[in-house]
Amino acid sequence: MSRAVASVIVAIVSSLFLLFFLAPVAGLVSSGGARGLASLSSDRELRESLALTASTATMATLLGILGGTPIAYFLARRAFPGRAVVAALMDLPLAIPHSVAGIALLLVLGRGSALGSVMYRVGLRVAGSATGIVCAMLFVSAPLYVSAAREAFVRVDARFESVARTLGDDAWRAFRRITLPLAARGLTAAAVVMWARAVSEFGAVVILTYNPKVASVLSYDRFTSYGLSETLPVAAVLVLFAFIPLIALRALRAGGYRDAP
Amino acid sequence: MISLQHVNARAGKFALADISFDIPQGEYGVVIGPAGAGKTTLLETIAGVVRTLSGRIMLGGDDLTSAPPEARRLGIVYQHAFLFPHLSVRENVEYGAASKHAADDVASRFGVDALANRSVESLSGGERQLVAIARALARRPEVLLLDEPFSALDPRTRNIARRVLRTLYYERRFTVLQVTHDFGEAGLLGDVAIVLDKGRIVQKGDPEQIFRKPASPYIADFLGAENVFAGIARPIRAEAPDWVAGNEHEFVRHAVAFTTGSLTFYALGDVVPGPAHAVIRAEEVSLSVEPSMSSVQNQFRGKILEIVPAGALSRVTVDASGTPIVAAVTARSVRELALSVGSEVVAGFKATAVHLC
Repeated sequence: MSRAVASVIVAIVSSLFLLFFLAPVAGLVSSGGARGLASLSSDRELRESLALTASTATMATLLGILGGTPIAYFLARRAFPGRAVVAALMDLPLAIPHSVAGIALLLVLGRGSALGSVMYRVGLRVAGSATGIVCAMLFVSAPLYVSAAREAFVRVDARFESVARTLGDDAWRAFRRITLPLAARGLTAAAVVMWARAVSEFGAVVILTYNPKVASVLSYDRFTSYGLSETLPVAAVLVLFAFIPLIALRALRAGGYRDAP
Repeated sequence: MISLQHVNARAGKFALADISFDIPQGEYGVVIGPAGAGKTTLLETIAGVVRTLSGRIMLGGDDLTSAPPEARRLGIVYQHAFLFPHLSVRENVEYGAASKHAADDVASRFGVDALANRSVESLSGGERQLVAIARALARRPEVLLLDEPFSALDPRTRNIARRVLRTLYYERRFTVLQVTHDFGEAGLLGDVAIVLDKGRIVQKGDPEQIFRKPASPYIADFLGAENVFAGIARPIRAEAPDWVAGNEHEFVRHAVAFTTGSLTFYALGDVVPGPAHAVIRAEEVSLSVEPSMSSVQNQFRGKILEIVPAGALSRVTVDASGTPIVAAVTARSVRELALSVGSEVVAGFKATAVHLC
């Protein structure tokens, strides 16, 4: 096969591949985008759902950053017994179906569970609340943050820290003044990916908290209750909504420090 | 001072084993060894970046074996500068500096004060390295650890950096331990040399001594000795009286005949009879057209196999009865003796030039 023929075949396959992703999204936005944007002013349930989605995803992302950053750092920097097990545990939620993740969370945090009943007694309801949504989003999307944050730390040569330590910084100060700024773009990108994944989460959320409805649950609800036509505006707005962090992510990845030390 | 006593350390799969040496206060130590010998790990162990598993590390008279890096009063400069890329040149030099004055002083000495407001990413490799050295010295460390800091520099910048560092070293008399591949540099700079291989010290001492008397053929080879011969050593005390050039007393005690291939030459040394290695530096081998009447007892006629010009000296390989002997002679000698490949010459070296190991 000549090189020219191979190039043509590769171009056709790549175009079909891109079309496979582009066509449904473009169809959805062209069919329901205008109606969806117009309904933002009139459809209160949609507005509230989007606000709930954004706020719970943001809360889940903040919790992910808080808990995931130290784990990502230690996985990147320290060799300790069981590191592979911890890394595998962090990746596990990515491998199990999200509805199963929701069931597992319900088992631990639902009112019928020991922990859930204690939390309920102190006024902290998980299932059927925004807290439940945050838990579901955190469970399924935090592994993406930890994985990307770990990579961000790995890309920062540990010798930058070593030099900072010999220049008088203790471990925390070297982390704060050197490692964190150098990994900042990677960490921010990791947080954006986590946020985007949290926004789009359906399986775990719908099991733990059907109401109040996040956007993904609302679009499912509209589809089962009113059919495709009524779902399109909600779905189209959700697509546009998810597009914002992805553009931010591309912008972040375009920058960064050179790798050379 | 730097004093290590039976230090064992591990970095990943690499281990340092039973490392012991002393660099007295204000002296300049050099660590030499092939790639993967553990030179950087050794510096990082002294810096406290790599944990010491056992043994003691004394710096400035204090036992700092378990002290964190920030408490060790030292500076480290890696082969790559590791300047903090999110900070300007000025901020890098001032990072951890003893004072702003100290930072300004070293910055101006190394000529990086003009770069103060530049971003690190805009610097050349040489400029980066100068900033890294200035940054380490601005802290006024008692111990300076240098991991091949000049290897990335062009010859001019390297000379400037060496000169400024040397000046500061004489002024402040901090203790230095420098890793280098270049034994010429080690001989030029070092008061104490440590030869490292596979995580162990294989020889230590005065650089000149190590250069002249490597402890093993491997070290001799690593240090660039061109003539390393495997053979049989045979003490010849009984036969000594017929060969008395120079110090007769010494000769009688240590005269050795060394046979390699079909060549036998004389040496001085304390060796057990049997297999050994003889090391002769090419600079110790002289060439002449005819055998000379001199104290040079080892003289072998042979044909020139190769002449390799290398700067002011040429490496001339002579086939002496099947054994190649390399001599380093000046280009002028090559001209005056009309040396050419295939011509016959006499290669000679004194018994004292032969090191047996």
